[in-house]
Amino acid sequence: MRWFQVKRLLMGAEAIAEAAVDAGLEAYFGYPITPSSEIMENLAILHARHRSDKFKVYFQSASEVESINLLMGAGAAGHISMTATSGPGLSLMAEGISYAYTSEIPLVIIDVNRGGPGLGNVAPEQSDYLFVTKSLGHGGSKGIVLAPSSIQEAMGQVRMAFELSFKFRMPVIILTEAIIIHMLESVEQDHQFPVNVETSWSARGRKNGARHLINSIYLEPSEFREIKIKLEEKWKAVEPLSECFMCDDAETLFVAYGISARIAMEAATDLRGRGIKAGVFRPITLNPFPGKMLVDAARNSRRIVVIEMNEGQMVHDVQYWVRRDVEQIPFMGGIYPDTEEVLEKCK
Amino acid sequence: MQIKQLSAVFPNAVNSYCPGCEHGLLLKFIAMALEELGITEKAVMVGSVGCSTLAFKFLNIDYVQAPHGRAPAIMTGIKEVEPEAIVFAVQGDGDALSIGLQELIYAANRGIPVTVFMYNNMVFGMTGGQMAPTTPEGMVTMTTPFGRNTEKSGPPIYSCELLSGLSRPSYIRRVVIAPKPVQLKDRVLYSSKEANESYKAVVSALKTQMMGGFSYVEFLGTCNVNWKMSILDSKKYAHNVSAKVYPPGLFRDRFGVDSVES
Ligand SMILES: Cc1ncc(C[n+]2csc(CCOP(=O)(O)OP(=O)(O)O)c2C)c(N)n1
Ligand code: SF4
Repeated sequence: MRWFQVKRLLMGAEAIAEAAVDAGLEAYFGYPITPSSEIMENLAILHARHRSDKFKVYFQSASEVESINLLMGAGAAGHISMTATSGPGLSLMAEGISYAYTSEIPLVIIDVNRGGPGLGNVAPEQSDYLFVTKSLGHGGSKGIVLAPSSIQEAMGQVRMAFELSFKFRMPVIILTEAIIIHMLESVEQDHQFPVNVETSWSARGRKNGARHLINSIYLEPSEFREIKIKLEEKWKAVEPLSECFMCDDAETLFVAYGISARIAMEAATDLRGRGIKAGVFRPITLNPFPGKMLVDAARNSRRIVVIEMNEGQMVHDVQYWVRRDVEQIPFMGGIYPDTEEVLEKCK
Repeated sequence: MQIKQLSAVFPNAVNSYCPGCEHGLLLKFIAMALEELGITEKAVMVGSVGCSTLAFKFLNIDYVQAPHGRAPAIMTGIKEVEPEAIVFAVQGDGDALSIGLQELIYAANRGIPVTVFMYNNMVFGMTGGQMAPTTPEGMVTMTTPFGRNTEKSGPPIYSCELLSGLSRPSYIRRVVIAPKPVQLKDRVLYSSKEANESYKAVVSALKTQMMGGFSYVEFLGTCNVNWKMSILDSKKYAHNVSAKVYPPGLFRDRFGVDSVES
């Protein structure tokens, strides 16, 4: 396959679907839910058009409970598999994610946040931050969480998610918002080789060799203790990622991720024009949280302002790391951050 | 007679089931059938949650652990990406018909070429003998201390009959796996008919999968520990009660595998 780049105007959902297929997606399983469904619908077209030899399985499940288990089956057999959902669906997947974490099954979930809790609404919120970073399933299970702030970045993160999920053999979540999924942006589409993944551990039949055991039950406490130590060591090797936007001399430091970070960058640029030294620290991995990087970025700031589209969730992580007063500007109910409002509060 | 080591069974495997339980017998039949059909190397067992969970300590084949009730969905995921693999699960009646009924029905309705071996002991065995969807009217369990009242709980679920309402499953059969006791004057003998039939059903179900169909076998087994009976009484109960409530039979055999002598 040739390596080439084209510039296109794409909707977020379409771009993510294309990027997934380009990166070597083998199996998509999903149950429709707004505002994520367009990802599935775009994949249906790419699958029907045989866009890639590797993309063999496209499957509409009976529920998100079934989705996560279908992903686990395909992942346990060593195939790159993905689903897209939103909060209510992710709740139903929590059980499976927990099993996948201990069983070390690679899988990728795109969670397009909607307004919550409950059925809430389908407008953009960042309501699942605590869920995906702190309580992704019972028993302390975790997953790597990536948060893109542009369509271009979302495309790259799909590829990264496939790689990370196999490198660390664990669930990877891309946490995004309806704005990214539904807006149009001009992007560079990389036609690279599909990602290469190691699958010698996977369960496809023992094929005259040693059998493969994908398991999450360890009744013997001393044995389970060793397993948990191993899982923790693996987790600690996951590298946090972040971006600093005019942080160096920032006296007012915004901390925001995803689409909120773009609005924060706009506000910071505007404030600089008015003589206020503002900057933005943007976590790219929400789990692991880039805490040390934040502390470093915040060393010259007098004010730390967290902007997020919920009642205040990431603010707890920020507070934990910087250990001083943190202000927050929460946007709730599906209303996205308004630059004017941010400027008003930061004058 | 020479005893041959089954390649799908660990040489030093110990049976961790309660004495008198047929769960271990079922695993042995599966290992024998894999060997007979020459499919051990491409077999993947999906473990359910219940007394069959620890089967991976006994069977030396690829194994994926499913959450409670979700084995048919995990099997579907594997089969979709690995069509050459032989994928099966052993599920309890609670696992398959209570928490996992939706996953079972969908795998069956799509005709996914996988196999479910369902061990029906009419209670939740692993958790200590609570009511299952299959517990018959009046049966005393830990959660129905005065007997199951189907007025409130609804009647038992007949899984073979239920799945027979779907067009896609290719093989559906119910057999008694508990050997029938025959009382002689001075001792009790156990019939070998049940073992032979159960083994035949395992082979037929796997053959059906190899021919591209979904297969389901319900085994009427015992749980003497939770039924709070002697082993002998539990075997009698399986024949006098279980087999009366759930009549054994061949519900579907699309490819005619049962009629071909194996
Ligand atoms: C989500 C969840 N709920 C409940 C349980 C507890 N649990 C474990 S096994 C089981 C029922 C087992 O009964 P059955 O499926 O009939 O299998 P058996 O042990 O009788 O073979 C239950 C309720 C669990 N493990 N997970
Ligand atoms: S609890 Fe019942 S079903 Fe489980 S191993 Fe013991 S006898 Fe068998």
